[in-house]
Amino acid sequence: MPHDVLSPEEPVVGKHVKSEQEQLVADRPSIKDWTDLRLGWWGFVRKNLDEPMPPGVGWWQTLGNLLMTLLAFQFVTGLALAMFYSPGTESAYLSVKHINEGHPVGLFVRGLHVWGSTLIVCVTVAHVLRVFFWGSYKKPRELTWVVGVMIFNVILGFSFTGYLLPWDQKAFWATTVGTRIAGTLPVVGQGLMTLIRGGEEVGALTLTRFYAIHIMVLPAALMGFTALHLYLVRRHHIAGPVVPQKGEPVKFYPNQLFKDAIVVLLGVGILAYMSLSMPPSLEAIADPTGADFAPRPEWYFLGMYELLKIMPAGWEVLATAVIPGFVTVGMLLVPWIDRAKSRHPAYRHWTIVAGTAVILMIGIMTLKGILETPPEHKAAHAAEKVSVGTPEVTPVPRLESGR
Amino acid sequence: MCEGNCENCKNQKVETDPKRRSFLSWSVGAINLAVLGGIFTPVIGFIGSPLRQKPKDDWIDVIGQDEIPVGATREVRFKAKVVDGYQTVTREYVVFLKRYPEKIVAFDPACTHLGCRILYKDDQKKYLCPCHGGVFDEDGKVVSGPPPRALTEHAVRIKDGRVFVDRRLTDAT
Repeated sequence: MPHDVLSPEEPVVGKHVKSEQEQLVADRPSIKDWTDLRLGWWGFVRKNLDEPMPPGVGWWQTLGNLLMTLLAFQFVTGLALAMFYSPGTESAYLSVKHINEGHPVGLFVRGLHVWGSTLIVCVTVAHVLRVFFWGSYKKPRELTWVVGVMIFNVILGFSFTGYLLPWDQKAFWATTVGTRIAGTLPVVGQGLMTLIRGGEEVGALTLTRFYAIHIMVLPAALMGFTALHLYLVRRHHIAGPVVPQKGEPVKFYPNQLFKDAIVVLLGVGILAYMSLSMPPSLEAIADPTGADFAPRPEWYFLGMYELLKIMPAGWEVLATAVIPGFVTVGMLLVPWIDRAKSRHPAYRHWTIVAGTAVILMIGIMTLKGILETPPEHKAAHAAEKVSVGTPEVTPVPRLESGR
Repeated sequence: MCEGNCENCKNQKVETDPKRRSFLSWSVGAINLAVLGGIFTPVIGFIGSPLRQKPKDDWIDVIGQDEIPVGATREVRFKAKVVDGYQTVTREYVVFLKRYPEKIVAFDPACTHLGCRILYKDDQKKYLCPCHGGVFDEDGKVVSGPPPRALTEHAVRIKDGRVFVDRRLTDAT
């Protein structure tokens, strides 16, 4: 049928019968119908609202929607912050300080962005765990899971690159150590570190690189992967409970959408509360010579941080690349490693045991990092262990020179 | 939405000559590759340009030789003008100078594990890393913890009683 619409006066030729769309135009359609004819929007919305939900689907399936909402929040708050932020070594810190102190809402918006990143990691982990234990990645949803793992890694990339942007002590040192981790890789390590830093040292080009990746590369990747993920979710529908429930599938709207809305409201409420009650901090400006700051990464990288401590000398590549790489590749391949026919955890012994072991390892190491002695006391503590003289710390004489 | 049965679709001509069809297909592929190459070759070259930069020596007069007693370690801060991407800035650096009877050694303050800033405890004659618990002795050798090798040394020259340190390292900081 041609898209061009016949005018009411135009005679109908032969057996041609006016389509519903043509009638809509002929009968002075409403704006809704007029736009629907051109965009097909309401059909798209209807299709999504009528998405069949298997019986037994409920609160656990609301996390994806919450995640989408939180990511949208990050996009919007990030856009606002980008309008005030300046990615230069001379200006980054000042611009973030201005965001914090220059306008009453600035601190809140930055709080939403900073705490949003933490909340997103929590919700993503919960979402991944639900899918893992429910075995929802099984045929034909393998690629939905793979794309989900890619999204998880993109989210971690956002955290890593965003951490540097305030250009304070925490940012500078976490990035110095973080980029150095790339340098531990055999053969390509040094080159990769230089490439990531944009030079030998963490400096102006590191900041611009991280900023470009944070606001352009990763959002593009996230949008692409998320679109693909949603397409696959809609194509294969939601997997439903591991033990199929009795009853007919129920449309997504209104029951499941209502649950989604409640969880979204709760999540956004928690985010707003955190942003108001715990405004994001800003340390002293980045100082490559400063000795009074012990770098610590964001809490969700503390597992790796602790792992690095227990690695024997010369084996750090195990903690920086081999183990994280093994976990990531393992996650990507889970749908093919898990050969069990059933989705029920009781019939997937090895997958569940291996997965639980990895989750426990990451969890324990992260907890250890969180509960660890504050870093300013750590150096003194370490000093006592190797102390050969008095435990009193005498600062080394400091001399200054210039040219 | 057209499902392939509209007038335009029904009346369209199809290229049936296999040779011409093949030629056109290959041409489209080659043009696409050329366009992609035209975009990505300079972009990747530009992004990767830091890899081609060769380090140059940058000798800096940091202290008088006599200001460090034999056997002592001094934390010395110095300023240097450095090119940092698009700007030339004055940046502060730190080295630990240890004076031996016959020479002076300049240790870089970055832990050889993952680059954290080490601290020198004069009373214990030890360098401590606050990040992952690395410990070095006053000669820069690893005592305990995860550092894989001794502290990195900057090249040192002594001229007319002054200590010159090469700001650059052969190893990355």
